[in-house]
Amino acid sequence: MITLSRMASAFFLILALTIIRPPGAHAKTITIDDSGTQALEPSVTMRWKTAAPSRSAGSNLMIGTTTIRVRINVMPWLRHAGRIYLALPAQKPGPIRLSWITQGRFLPGQLVSGNRVLVYAGPITTPFMEDTLTFQFSVSGTLMGRAVPVTYHFEMDEG
Amino acid sequence: MRANTPSSLAPTGMSPAGRGLRYSRDTLRRLNVGAVLLAAASSAAAYTVNLNPAAPQEIYLQVGVGAFTKNYNVGGQPGINTTINTVSTTLATGVVGNGTAQAMTTNSTAAQSYWDGFTFCTVPAQLYIGGFFRTTGATTAAAVVTATVPVALTDATGDSIPFSQINWTSSGISDPPTEPFPAGTFVSGGVQTVGSMASNTWNESCWTFSYLNTQVAAAGTYTGAVLYTMTAP
Repeated sequence: MITLSRMASAFFLILALTIIRPPGAHAKTITIDDSGTQALEPSVTMRWKTAAPSRSAGSNLMIGTTTIRVRINVMPWLRHAGRIYLALPAQKPGPIRLSWITQGRFLPGQLVSGNRVLVYAGPITTPFMEDTLTFQFSVSGTLMGRAVPVTYHFEMDEG
Repeated sequence: MRANTPSSLAPTGMSPAGRGLRYSRDTLRRLNVGAVLLAAASSAAAYTVNLNPAAPQEIYLQVGVGAFTKNYNVGGQPGINTTINTVSTTLATGVVGNGTAQAMTTNSTAAQSYWDGFTFCTVPAQLYIGGFFRTTGATTAAAVVTATVPVALTDATGDSIPFSQINWTSSGISDPPTEPFPAGTFVSGGVQTVGSMASNTWNESCWTFSYLNTQVAAAGTYTGAVLYTMTAP
């Protein structure tokens, strides 16, 4: 009976551990609440990067800059280490290049739509993380027949 | 462990004394964390900005001298130059109307392309014509350059020479045979297309004008003005 009891205890312990961390579990990525974020301009004015085109039509980039006060809610990860990414999903109108500079809370960087880039790695010590980011979007003018919404988000890798 | 609904919890730090219901610090933390996670999950959202193409169309046409702050390939910006250039020739009395075409020269000094400063035309033998138009979207329509041509060149006494007595060839140093502004002959009293520009491309040619000299005209100075117009779709 004692042996059976110990086996049962071991079984429940294993079961409990299995629930907490399944074998082979991967890091979980969660979109971070950024409802406190504010854009200083209502829209990003896109202009030709160069006033004149090249002879071969190879230089049709339009660029636009905007400043955004980023405020993300990281309370769920408070007092834990975290890795925060800026993600720009693949979306219409097509390939979008995004670069940004920061005031220091997050890392500056650049990416092309369909990718993400690490902007913070370290302990989460405050419920909210804030920074002012200056974004520069670059899109081919051939894709910009009209105004287009572009979506990005911050995400946390857990695990 | 018995579960308690969050609604039965007093906010942290606001538990009234003597209420009887007490939760351990650990229990409170777990329940609060659970509530926060729920809130975060419900409000997490992507951020959207609108990219708005401003001044999506730009055109630039240069016939003769033009205006750029500096060459395009080093960030130059196009400007406005109101100069009207001339193309002219002077015939000796003995050759008037003999059917031998007479080369015309220009007072334009535009030899270099504003694209990169490359010496593209030979002055005064050639007249530079070039430009571009920018437009957004996947349009493939080209901008068209037309010439509005008077019926004739005239002198002070009313004599005239049809504009159709003037033609031009087209080339450019190091250019392929095909030119965006090809060779042609003026159509007297008409509006004629003299070239086109595909969207978002730089286009340029050098024109060499000739007076065909197939008719005898009275002595005099004959002038006429051709207006070049660029029309973007």
